[in-house]
Amino acid sequence: MKVSLFITCLSDAIYPKVGEAMVRLLAAHGIQLDFPPVQTCCGQPSYNSGYWDETRTAARTILKAFQSSDFVVSPSGSCTYMIHHYPELFKDEPEYLALAHELESKTYEFTQFLVKVLGITDIGAAFPYKVTYHPSCHGSRLLGIKDEPIALLNHVQGLELVPLPFAEDCCGFGGTFAVKMADISGAMVTEKVDHIKETEAEVLVGLDMACLMNIAGNLRHRGEQVRVMHLAELLYEGVSVR
Amino acid sequence: MNPASSTRGTVKERADIALNDDFLRNAVRFTTDRLRSGKKVASTEHGNWEEWRERGRQIRLHTIAHLDYYLNLFVENARSNGVHVHFADNAVEATDIVMTIARQKEAQSVIKSKSMVSEEVHINQALELSGIEAIESDLGEYIIQLAGEGPSHIVIPAIHKNRYQIAELLSEDAGETLEPDTTILAGYVRRKLRQKFLEADIGMTGCNFAIAETGSMVLFENEGNARMVTTVPKTQITLMGMERIVPSWADLEVMATLLPRSATGQRLTMYMSGITGPKRTVDADGPEEMHIIIVDNGRSQQLGDPEFQELLNCIRCGACLNVCPVYRQIGGHSYGGTYSGPIGAVLTPALNKNVAEWDDIASASSLCGACYEACPVKIPLHDMLVSLRRRKVERGHGDKLEALGMRGFATLMANSKRFALAMRLGKIAQKPFVHNSGIHLKLGPLKGWNTYRVAPTLANHSFRDQWKELSAETAAQPKTIDPAVRQRMEQVLADRQHNKSTSRTGGESHE
Amino acid sequence: MSNTNQPFSAKPPVVPNPESSHLTPDHEQHDSSQADWLDELEQKSKAKQQTFMNHIADRLQRPRIQEAPKHPFRGAPEIWQDFNWNEAEKIEKFTKHFTEVGGNVLRMQTLEEAGAFIAEQSRLLNAQYIVRQQLPETEALTLEARLPHVQISAWNSHTEEAWKARAAEADIGIVLADGAAAYTGTVMVTSSASQGRSVSLLPTVCIVLLPIERLQTRLGELLIPWDSKGRENLPAGIHFISGPSRSSDIENELTIGVHGPGIVYTLLIG
Repeated sequence: MKVSLFITCLSDAIYPKVGEAMVRLLAAHGIQLDFPPVQTCCGQPSYNSGYWDETRTAARTILKAFQSSDFVVSPSGSCTYMIHHYPELFKDEPEYLALAHELESKTYEFTQFLVKVLGITDIGAAFPYKVTYHPSCHGSRLLGIKDEPIALLNHVQGLELVPLPFAEDCCGFGGTFAVKMADISGAMVTEKVDHIKETEAEVLVGLDMACLMNIAGNLRHRGEQVRVMHLAELLYEGVSVR
Repeated sequence: MNPASSTRGTVKERADIALNDDFLRNAVRFTTDRLRSGKKVASTEHGNWEEWRERGRQIRLHTIAHLDYYLNLFVENARSNGVHVHFADNAVEATDIVMTIARQKEAQSVIKSKSMVSEEVHINQALELSGIEAIESDLGEYIIQLAGEGPSHIVIPAIHKNRYQIAELLSEDAGETLEPDTTILAGYVRRKLRQKFLEADIGMTGCNFAIAETGSMVLFENEGNARMVTTVPKTQITLMGMERIVPSWADLEVMATLLPRSATGQRLTMYMSGITGPKRTVDADGPEEMHIIIVDNGRSQQLGDPEFQELLNCIRCGACLNVCPVYRQIGGHSYGGTYSGPIGAVLTPALNKNVAEWDDIASASSLCGACYEACPVKIPLHDMLVSLRRRKVERGHGDKLEALGMRGFATLMANSKRFALAMRLGKIAQKPFVHNSGIHLKLGPLKGWNTYRVAPTLANHSFRDQWKELSAETAAQPKTIDPAVRQRMEQVLADRQHNKSTSRTGGESHE
Repeated sequence: MSNTNQPFSAKPPVVPNPESSHLTPDHEQHDSSQADWLDELEQKSKAKQQTFMNHIADRLQRPRIQEAPKHPFRGAPEIWQDFNWNEAEKIEKFTKHFTEVGGNVLRMQTLEEAGAFIAEQSRLLNAQYIVRQQLPETEALTLEARLPHVQISAWNSHTEEAWKARAAEADIGIVLADGAAAYTGTVMVTSSASQGRSVSLLPTVCIVLLPIERLQTRLGELLIPWDSKGRENLPAGIHFISGPSRSSDIENELTIGVHGPGIVYTLLIG
C-alpha cells in the first residue's frame, strides 16, 4: 500500500519539521511514507481570491503527484479540504476530473488518517505541559475533524489540556484576507491571542500551519512566550523524549 | 442614512471607523456572544438539529425551485381573502405603490413594524419626502430612526448603541431627561408610540413567511408592535420579498422551529401571527383594507444561478452574523448595505446587478465557514463569497496588482523544480531582513501582516531538500505494521473500491 | 351561571352568523371612487402578475408550473410526528415554558374559580376597566357580579363603541384560547366578531382561559389543522402568544411589556 505525503507548500518551505514529525511517527508504526516531489501547492491562495485558471495550474501538480497513491496524508485540514474543490475546478477536463474524484476520496488530514483509518489514538507520547488546542476552521467545520485531535491529546501522558475560550472562532488568517484586510485580520488574531493568554497554557497546538503561523506571529509580536506546535510535532517530541 | 451606513468608501475605510470604536466592538461582542450561546442552548435542547436543518433546507429548496407555482398560488389565495396584491420589480416600483396607497388614503402618518425589505427599498425616506410621517415601532428600529441610521444587525438593529447613547437620543425626543435605565427608556417608547398607533392612518409590516395554500402572511416578533400595526390602523401594507413563501402551515412548523431558535435562542417568539386577509365585516378591529406588495428588487437574478439560488432560502435569522468573526470586529455598518454580516456580504452584491458596485465586500471574509455551520437552512455562504470573488476577476474587475501576483504564483507552482528553486533563492533574498529568525519589516505586502505579527522565515532546508536523507534514515530500520492496522487500511481501500463501482461519479468523499 | 358540566364548546366558538357576512372583506363597503381606485389597482396587478410569474419561470429555465408539484419534505421530520406527552407532562411543560419567559400559569378546576381569581387580581391591581371577549366562557366568569364597581365590557357587544380605544384603556383583557402547545409554551387565540385581536393585545394585563383539553404537545398540532380547514374558513387573525411582550433591543437587556401586555396569565381550566 502506497501512503503518500502531501506536504503543502507552507510546511515544505517554512515548517519542514512538521513533515519530518509525520514521517517519523508513521514510520514507527510501520508506515513508510512516500513523497512525490512533483507536488507544489494545492492552489488555495488563488482559488479563494477568485483566480481559478491559476489554481488549476497548481492543482494539476497535485493531481499528477498522487495518481498512484492509495492514501494521501497532509498536515493541513485546509489544504485537504481544498482537494474537495478539485472536481468542481476540473469539471470540463474529463481526464483530470477522474483524478480529482479519486484524490478527493483518498486524501486525509493527518489526525483523520491516524484515528479514522489506522485506528490509532495512543501514540505512546508523554508531554508534561499545559496545552490548549485551536481547532482550525476548515478542518473542524468543513471536514468535521473534531474528536480526532482530542482523542490523540487525551492519550498523551502528563499533558494537561485546557479549553480555549471561543476556540471555534477563526484566528483571522484566511490566506490573502490577512494581507488585503490587514486591520480586520489583525483585530481577529489579537482577540485569538487574548483568549490563548487567558488559558495560561504553555503550548498552543493545532492542525494547520497557516493558522499557527498567524497566531505565532502575533504572539511573538507581543513578546509572548507560548510555544506554538503542530500536533504531529507535539506527538513526535512526546515520543522522542520517552 | 448616516455616513457610517452608506455605501460610500470601501469596506476597509468603513471597517476602520468601527475598528477604532471600542464601544461599538464591545457592544457587538457582548450581544452576539449572548445570541450565539442562546442559539447553541436552544438547538441542543430541541435535539436532532441537523435533521431539522436539513428539513428546513429541503422545504426552502423545493419552494424556490417551484417559486412561480407557489407564489402564484399565494397571490390567488390572498386575493380571495380580500387582499390587494401588487408586484414590484424594484425599489422604485415598490415605493410608487406605497405612495399611491398613501395618497389615496390621504395618510398623515404610517406606523411600521420591523421590515428589512422596507429598509432595502428606503421607504421611510420616500414617505418623509412626501410629508408623510413614517414611524418605526420596533424599539431598536425606533432608536436608529432617531439616530438617522440604518440597522446594523438583521434582528437587533441598534446592536451598536449603548444605553447612554440611547438615553440621549430618547431624551432629546422626549424633551426631558430620561435616565439610562432600560425599563424607563422602553416605557417612554411604549407611551409615545401608543398614541402614534392610534393616530396612524396606515400600518406597514414586513413578512417573515407567506403561506401559499391559504394566502396567509406570518409575522414573528417579541414586542407586540407588529400585532399593533396589523390591528389598529385602518389600512395595512405589507412589503414582502418574493421568496418569503412556504407551501403550508405544516411547513411553517419547521420554520417556526428554526427561526426563533437560530435568531435569539427562543423556543418561539412571544408573538407569531398568521394574518389571512383584512378584518371581516363583523369584526371590530383589524385593517379594513390590506395590501401586500411582492418585491423582486434583484431576487430573481439568483434564480437559475446554480451558485447563488440558495441565497433565496435565507430566513433572515441573523445567526450567521452572530458567529461571524469579522462582523464581531467591524459591526454591521461596515458592510455598507441594508444587510450585514456574511449574508449581507453575499446578498448586497447579488441583489445589485452592476458588477462595478460589487465593491470589495466579498473580500472581507476569512472564509472560515462559521456562517454555513450556523445557518438553519445550510446556505453555503463561504462558497458563495468565493464565487463572487471569482466572478469579479472573470469580468475584469479584479485588482490589477493582485492579478499579476496570481499569475506569478501560477508560474511558480506550475512546476516543482521552479518552486524548489524559488525557495532556495528566497532563503538568500530574505537574509538582510531576518532578525532573531523572524522578519519584522513593515514594507510592501508585509506591512499589514507585520503591523500585527512577526513574519516567519523560510527554513534553512526545505522539506524536499531533506527528503532523501530522511527517507533513507527511516527505511534503514523498518518497523512492521500492526496486522490490525493493516487490516483497517485494506478495509478502507476495499470500501473505496466498492463506492467507486456503485457510484457513477467515481470517488466519493469519505466524510 | 357556571355550567361546569359542559363549560366549553368542543370547537373554537364562532359567532352565529346566518349570512356568513363575517367572511366578507370590509373594503366592499367603501364608496364608489374608492372602489374604482381599487379596481384599477386590481387590473394593473393582474396584468403584472403574469409577467412576474413568467419571469420567474424564465429565470428557472423552464415553462411555468401550473400543477401542484410533489412536495416530499412537507412539514416536520417524521420522528417529530409521533412525539406526544401525556396530560400531566403537557401541563408541566407548558407551565415551565410559559413561566420561564415571564408568563404566569395557574390551574383552576372551574370557570367559577377562575372568575374568583380574576376578581381578586382586579382588586389587587385596582383595575378600573376590564374588556373580555364576548363568549359564554368569559361570561361564566360572572365578573360583572363579582366586581360591581369595575367597568366590564364584552367585546363588540354594541356597535357604537370605539372598541380599539376601549381595549387600549383597559387594565385587563380576558380571552379564550383556541389551543395551546406545551412544547413551546404557546397559546393560540383567533379573531372573530366577538373575539377582538385587541383584547389580548392592548390592555396592560392579559388573562387567557385555556380549557385543559385544548392543550397539545407540539406547535404543529395547532398549525396543521389550518391546512385542512380550507382557506375560506380561516379567521383573519390567528395569534400565537408565548408570554408577555418583551424586548432586548437595549444592550440585550430584557425589558417586559414594550407594546403588548407586560403581565400575562394563562388559567388552565379543568
